Amino acid sequence: MSSEHGHVPHRGRPDPRTEQHLTPEQIQALEARVKALEAVLVAKGIVSPATLDELASIYEHDIGPMNGAKVVARAWVDPAYKQRLLTNATAAIAELGFGGLQGEHMVVVENTPTVHNVVVCTLCSCYPWPVLGLPPTWYKSAPYRSRVVIDPRGVLREFGLELPESVEVRVWDSSAELRYMVLPERPAGTEQLSEAELAALVTRDALIGVAKVNVKSDRA
Amino acid sequence: MKRAATPHIAEMSGPASLPRRSGELVFHAPWERRVFAMAVALCEQGFYTWDEFRERLIAAIAAGERRAQQDPTQRAPSYYESWLAAFERLLVDKGIL
Repeated sequence: MSSEHGHVPHRGRPDPRTEQHLTPEQIQALEARVKALEAVLVAKGIVSPATLDELASIYEHDIGPMNGAKVVARAWVDPAYKQRLLTNATAAIAELGFGGLQGEHMVVVENTPTVHNVVVCTLCSCYPWPVLGLPPTWYKSAPYRSRVVIDPRGVLREFGLELPESVEVRVWDSSAELRYMVLPERPAGTEQLSEAELAALVTRDALIGVAKVNVKSDRA
Repeated sequence: MKRAATPHIAEMSGPASLPRRSGELVFHAPWERRVFAMAVALCEQGFYTWDEFRERLIAAIAAGERRAQQDPTQRAPSYYESWLAAFERLLVDKGIL
């Protein structure tokens, strides 16, 4: 994931550092070592299996884009909520119980058939943590930060998002004072889906604006 | 215990950066998830600072790569194998093990 070269690092690809082909014996040995460590720490009263599980879940899920996805799904099903979200995003997001550190001063920008929004932080890597979770590596890369401003269509194309010339692309520069999130368009054919099912469709990339929300292929 | 992820853990850069796919953490096996959580849990409880763990993680990754370079029959350890080695080392250094 070098940020030196000119392309935005690919996302969605597994990290090669974890792609180790271990033999079943090696896996067993590692499992045993970890289990032994855990047993010692539990016996010393330092950790409990439940807190370990909870902690891992926090990192897996709370840092994922789940909170932002729930906000989007609510806005799709509840026009009054959507209005509040676009008027005062920080308060509307707080209604769902999200916010806090680095989640204050949120602004939500709406995608329409004629406007596509994309978010960047050119200065550093400001990112609304509690809502969007972990910033992806490419978000902080120099090529993304500089090129999305100069050539947003080209960068979006590298993400696999081809926009017609008729669609206006707006680039929003996040800062410590203002953090942006995109409200993507609700995909067609999702009228029957529940709010929770809709939230499951929303990806982190769509909330940054480098992708659209698609109906999952196994549903189509 | 804290209810939210800590930026200086989640945002480590360079060789120590957490393996992710589309920004989300990737664990390939339950043991990776357990050892990840153990290292974070003990840091949150003040047994060590995250920098102390990160230094050992970087050292473990570098040592693994060196071994693999010197001996072609050895493969470089995966990220969480290095994590496990660093965590064990830190527990010994801190007198917890």
